[in-house]
Amino acid sequence: MSAALTAPSAPSPPGSARPPGPPGPPGPPSGGTPVGPRPRASRRLRAAAEFLYLLVGVPLGALGFGYAVLTLLLSVITGITSLGMPLLSASVRGARRLGGLHRGLARGLLGLTVSPPRPLPRGHGFLSWTAAGIRDAAGWRAMAYLVLKLPVAVVTFAAAGAFWGYGLFFTSHLGWWWLVPDGQRMAVPNFDWEIDTWGRALVLAAVGLVLLLAAPWVTRGVLVLDRVPLRGLLGPTTLSERVRDLEEARSHAVEDAAAKLRRIERDLHDGTQARLVALAMKLGMAKESLDAEDGRADLDQARLLVDHAHRGLKETLAELRDLVRGIHPAVLDSGLEPALATLAGDCAVPVRLRVSVPDRPSAAIETIAYFCVAELLTNVVKHSRARLATVDVEQRGGVLRVRVADDGVGGAVVGSVVVGGAVVGGADPHTVGVTGGDGTGSGLAGLTDRVRTVDGRIEVDSPPGGPTVVTVELPSHT
Amino acid sequence: MRIVIAEDSVVLRDGLVELLTRRGHEVVAAVSDGEALRGAVAEHRPDVVVVDVRMPPTHTDEGLRAAIALRAEHPELGVLVFSQYVETRYAAELLATRSEGVGYLLKDRVADVRDFVDALTRIAAGETVLDPEVVSRLLRGTTRSSVVEALTARERDVLGLMAEGRSNAAIARELSLSGGSVEKHVTNIFAKLGLPPSEDDHRRVLAVLHYLRS
Repeated sequence: MSAALTAPSAPSPPGSARPPGPPGPPGPPSGGTPVGPRPRASRRLRAAAEFLYLLVGVPLGALGFGYAVLTLLLSVITGITSLGMPLLSASVRGARRLGGLHRGLARGLLGLTVSPPRPLPRGHGFLSWTAAGIRDAAGWRAMAYLVLKLPVAVVTFAAAGAFWGYGLFFTSHLGWWWLVPDGQRMAVPNFDWEIDTWGRALVLAAVGLVLLLAAPWVTRGVLVLDRVPLRGLLGPTTLSERVRDLEEARSHAVEDAAAKLRRIERDLHDGTQARLVALAMKLGMAKESLDAEDGRADLDQARLLVDHAHRGLKETLAELRDLVRGIHPAVLDSGLEPALATLAGDCAVPVRLRVSVPDRPSAAIETIAYFCVAELLTNVVKHSRARLATVDVEQRGGVLRVRVADDGVGGAVVGSVVVGGAVVGGADPHTVGVTGGDGTGSGLAGLTDRVRTVDGRIEVDSPPGGPTVVTVELPSHT
Repeated sequence: MRIVIAEDSVVLRDGLVELLTRRGHEVVAAVSDGEALRGAVAEHRPDVVVVDVRMPPTHTDEGLRAAIALRAEHPELGVLVFSQYVETRYAAELLATRSEGVGYLLKDRVADVRDFVDALTRIAAGETVLDPEVVSRLLRGTTRSSVVEALTARERDVLGLMAEGRSNAAIARELSLSGGSVEKHVTNIFAKLGLPPSEDDHRRVLAVLHYLRS
């Protein structure tokens, strides 16, 4: 199915005043910027940052290598004493921290975000502290990275450095080759090639220019050597962590289900049931008025009571309808698109909705997607002060991507950090809880949990001043 | 009667106040949690209180706790615990110390205004009123004590109605029996439950409690 519609549905006649914002459908939503990295720095800046990364990598690599070798050696030497184990634990924990430094450097200079491994469980007492450190798989992987980093840094720096260095050196010959006295003119190592004419200098400068032009690409190329161990050894990717992740997601799912049942019970008990009791009470009183003991029925009184009861019943029905819809919107049975259209139509902020889902997802996925949109639109209405919201749902390669964007004030807070760029929710479940600009809206934290139960991810991009774009990715089928 | 109501649902609270006032009773206070209830009772000294089981802040059994505390503090106070569902455990807790002047009813019972106000009056007068739902649940538990097993089906019906606080005459009407045969059933029940001859009302209560405690 595929659809494009604007809600509220009344189409504006041509020339009529529309709320400021993107023009009508269809067309790409211009209100929200695409989710992704910050406005891209210029190529030159990026190349400089990448080279800086390689440059810093060498001393840092040496430091890390020295740290790993030294502390491990020290642990082995002191191994016969009671100091060995605690020292080893401290060493592994330290490696973890140094790993964090490398991750930070990669994020800052390469724009490569590697999510940190799960923090170590907080133990009680010295023994468990020692044991936890030694058994910390993530710490050991960080240690391996530290050892590996030095040769990688040297090789990558040498490769990139050669291109940059020789490039600059050769090119600059044009400016000074004639100043160098005869006999000392030697430009190209291993090529006994003296630069003694303008022609030769020109050729050399051309070679240098080629080297310089190639240098950024070479830098990027050799960086792959660094990125691979960085991702593999400093990220949370081991099987055991995956299992822990799944366990956590499962417990969230179970808790979510239980909490939902409690909420429904509470709504029924405090709402519908109480109202029905009150109704029964009113009708009971009306009945009494009708068959009064002295034989004189108070018709006016009875009419009034029945009137109250009637009104109460209608309110109860409306309440019950809302409640039932909150449990499972029936329209969802006929597909995500009609359900979202209803949702969009009910939203206080105009919503532009585009749904393109050729292969119908599993019911559970549809439900999660639906409630994500419901929650996100609620947040838009509550916090964003937006004039237009855009909901895009598309399916690509087994992934259902739901994007809710608004042209509001932005500034959604993830954890306690205000994010300017994209934050990947699946990356670190401990810090991702999104709140609106005014510090409310913890509903999104629940959303993150729910999305994680099906291995989905949620990404929030909400710089201060807006716009806010939240992207939820779900597998099409569970 | 002077009545204090503790109910956190506004519609129900207002409804109860209206119903009882219309019936000529005086609702001296209507509050929405257990703490306020105890304050209101201390201040107004009502004849009877109507207490919702689930109230803020915990929304679990606040009202029941408050009711039990009130019964201990004010022995002469009638307490009607009012709930949207019945738990036999709650009934047992309510009756654990004394069985006079206490009631446990489903909220549905307000639909029959006369019966409801009747029950409240009986509680204020020191009687025990249990919801038929509680009683039938107790009686449905056929695997309870062997003593209860020994009762005939008819005797169980009678005991059930006794538990609801009905008099012999009312039981006779309900079961379409003569007053004499009801008395015979009651005597049989007392005998089978091993209750010594004493003041009749007290034995009735003991018979009911037998169920709750067995």
